Amino acid sequence: MDSAASRPAVVIDNGTGYTKMGFAGNVEPCFIAPTVVAVNESFLNQNRSSTKGNWLAQHSAGVMADLDFFIGDEAIARSRNSSTYNLSYPIVHGQVDNWDAMERFWQQCIFNYLRCDPEDHYFLLTESPLTAPESREYTGEIMFETFNVPGLYIAVQPVLALAAGYTTSKCEMTGVVVDVGDGATHVVPVADGYVIGSSIKSIPIAGKDVTLFVQQLMRERGEHVPPEDSFEVARKVKEMYCYTSSDIVKEFNKHDKEPGKYIKHWRGIKPKTGAPYSCDVGYERFLGPEIFFNPEIYSSDFATPLPAVIDKCIQSAPIDTRRALYKNIVLSGGSTMFKDFHRRLQRDVKKIVDARVLASDSRLDGEVKSQPVEVNVVSHPIQRYAVWFGGSVLASTPEFFAACHTKAEYEEYGASICRTNPVFKGMY
Amino acid sequence: MILLQSPSRFLLQTLLNRVQNLEKGVELDYQWVEFDDVRYHVQVSMKYPQFLLLSVSLPTPAQEAVFSGGLPFGAIEAIKASYGVLVQILDPPKDGFNLTLKLNLSKLPPDEEYKHALLVKIASVREVVLGAPLRVVLKHLASRTVAPDINRPFALVHRPKESFFLVPQAEKVTVVFPMRFKDSIDTVLATSFLQEFVEARRTAGLNNAPPCLWSPSPPLELRGTAGEALSANAGFVTFVIFPRHVEGKKLDRTVWSLSTFRAYVSYHVKCSEGFMHTRMRRRVESLIQALDRAKPDLEKSKKTVQGRSFKRLSLKEAHTNSNSQRWS
Repeated sequence: MDSAASRPAVVIDNGTGYTKMGFAGNVEPCFIAPTVVAVNESFLNQNRSSTKGNWLAQHSAGVMADLDFFIGDEAIARSRNSSTYNLSYPIVHGQVDNWDAMERFWQQCIFNYLRCDPEDHYFLLTESPLTAPESREYTGEIMFETFNVPGLYIAVQPVLALAAGYTTSKCEMTGVVVDVGDGATHVVPVADGYVIGSSIKSIPIAGKDVTLFVQQLMRERGEHVPPEDSFEVARKVKEMYCYTSSDIVKEFNKHDKEPGKYIKHWRGIKPKTGAPYSCDVGYERFLGPEIFFNPEIYSSDFATPLPAVIDKCIQSAPIDTRRALYKNIVLSGGSTMFKDFHRRLQRDVKKIVDARVLASDSRLDGEVKSQPVEVNVVSHPIQRYAVWFGGSVLASTPEFFAACHTKAEYEEYGASICRTNPVFKGMY
Repeated sequence: MILLQSPSRFLLQTLLNRVQNLEKGVELDYQWVEFDDVRYHVQVSMKYPQFLLLSVSLPTPAQEAVFSGGLPFGAIEAIKASYGVLVQILDPPKDGFNLTLKLNLSKLPPDEEYKHALLVKIASVREVVLGAPLRVVLKHLASRTVAPDINRPFALVHRPKESFFLVPQAEKVTVVFPMRFKDSIDTVLATSFLQEFVEARRTAGLNNAPPCLWSPSPPLELRGTAGEALSANAGFVTFVIFPRHVEGKKLDRTVWSLSTFRAYVSYHVKCSEGFMHTRMRRRVESLIQALDRAKPDLEKSKKTVQGRSFKRLSLKEAHTNSNSQRWS
């Protein structure tokens, strides 16, 4: 156990879209890979269809199927080239959906990517603030039983995102974390390291919806993208060309006046025939991220813009924390990487706040002058893996090893030790 | 994945990244640990972007293993032979590491394919260094001689404070692995895995593979070694390597497979534990389904548009419900 504490802890941040993994103490994760597993299902179906026959051959085929799978970019490449592999996404909307796939994913992360012996390292995993305690227990069970880890810590993503800013500026552990991932968007207020659970707001619009919207726009305009590739192309277009505009009408005008400057071209190769194709990327460049600010253009079910949700979230937090929360709105997650996203967010939140201050001033008729509220949206270059970096910072402190659930505790009390989360009790 | 790959994935990725944008100066400082406690440290400084400092620390050797100058026997020669002018060995190495290499990336050959092969070779530095003594012994086997000045049995480090043993002869080399596991479940699984492994060797397709034996007690070849090295809770695995296994290109593969045998076993033990969990989860699910089927038919609840379900109580039912609450 002591020798394990002398080695750097393994930090794995499993997101819906991408998994960030690496060792504590580094500034960047070693690998960022799509959270996807390609499983060879052909063995399993054989087993079921023909029960008679060579039992031994089928048995060993079944055993081999257990090892015959790929994760990450390899998985996507395999499933494209052959039809024997089926993709399965273990995490849906920020929650683990398929535990078998998740266990396999972790197995490959540890043995094939990081190539470490899980018995030698403490582990830090992350979870979304809305994860059920049962799912935390499951995670603990897999980590302790299958991988025999000496110690495990399951951290809450927004707290880690706040901790990521911990080293660069002052020790600020109060703020609102706007975590926009691929599958889930949460607005989480944190006061002095404690998550204010009752004020967490989540909205059903996340990175994947931006991708779907871009895909839809391109399809409606009639761009010649092969249908089996269109989702991937839309994802790439989103990652490479999308940006946030300050005003859509102005942006439309700009595009119409100078199409040569704003319209980008995407070149690809058709996966089936290998023929090259190209298509234009136009309005979707700014309309994609716009769904966070004007959700009605994407779905009719949900129409509250992100700035309004943030404001509502802060208004529902305890009154003495609100000023501090407005002052430190932290972005995290890959889908906040659009250019000028933080500027637009800051402007819109400020507008709401100023309107409210103005209204209260006029109601009081100038008798009491209220102090202006400072609104500040913080953005830093490592935003994409801010959660991972926070985990790396946290796991390289000596207190981390004391805060972990250890294997001895697990054996004594069982998986229920993972139910309570030390971060909710405030480690910082 | 069945076998572990010999190049370190992260090191290879870092090297390839570095070579692709060599002109751009960046500050890099990465540290990571691989299985069997091999640590790496990579440094690139802003000033000299073409140089890359790679430090490697090896597992602490047990008493019986031969180390000269902090490195296994023959390691320096092996490094020089495989990397040539590209690499300069710094002496003394960085504090806390056994070996520090200074890579001059501007001296890489222009040919893309050759360059890539060389980078892969650098990423497999652990195989080159830790496998060096094994390679020397197996090379002698290929020419059917016995290396001079080697005591028998010859101990090689492969894990912290653990070693495996070689008994070199002119016609064959016997390799003995004492298998130790910390966890009791792991020990049981590993024991049965190894027995199956030996059994699998007997199938028809593997006639040319090295003969392989498993025994719970130390084999005769290890007579005369210290008692501590002979304690193994998952038995002893013996491979017999013949000259035909080390001919030409097979040598590299044999060296790598032998030096990571223990990691291979432990990986498969973990995999089988995972496999058992999958089966257990499936079983629990099917049992829960059976329980659900046994429940008496509940009144079909109606689904609303939003997908929520609700049960509409009739007035009479509601009345009896409240009655029963009150009176019974």
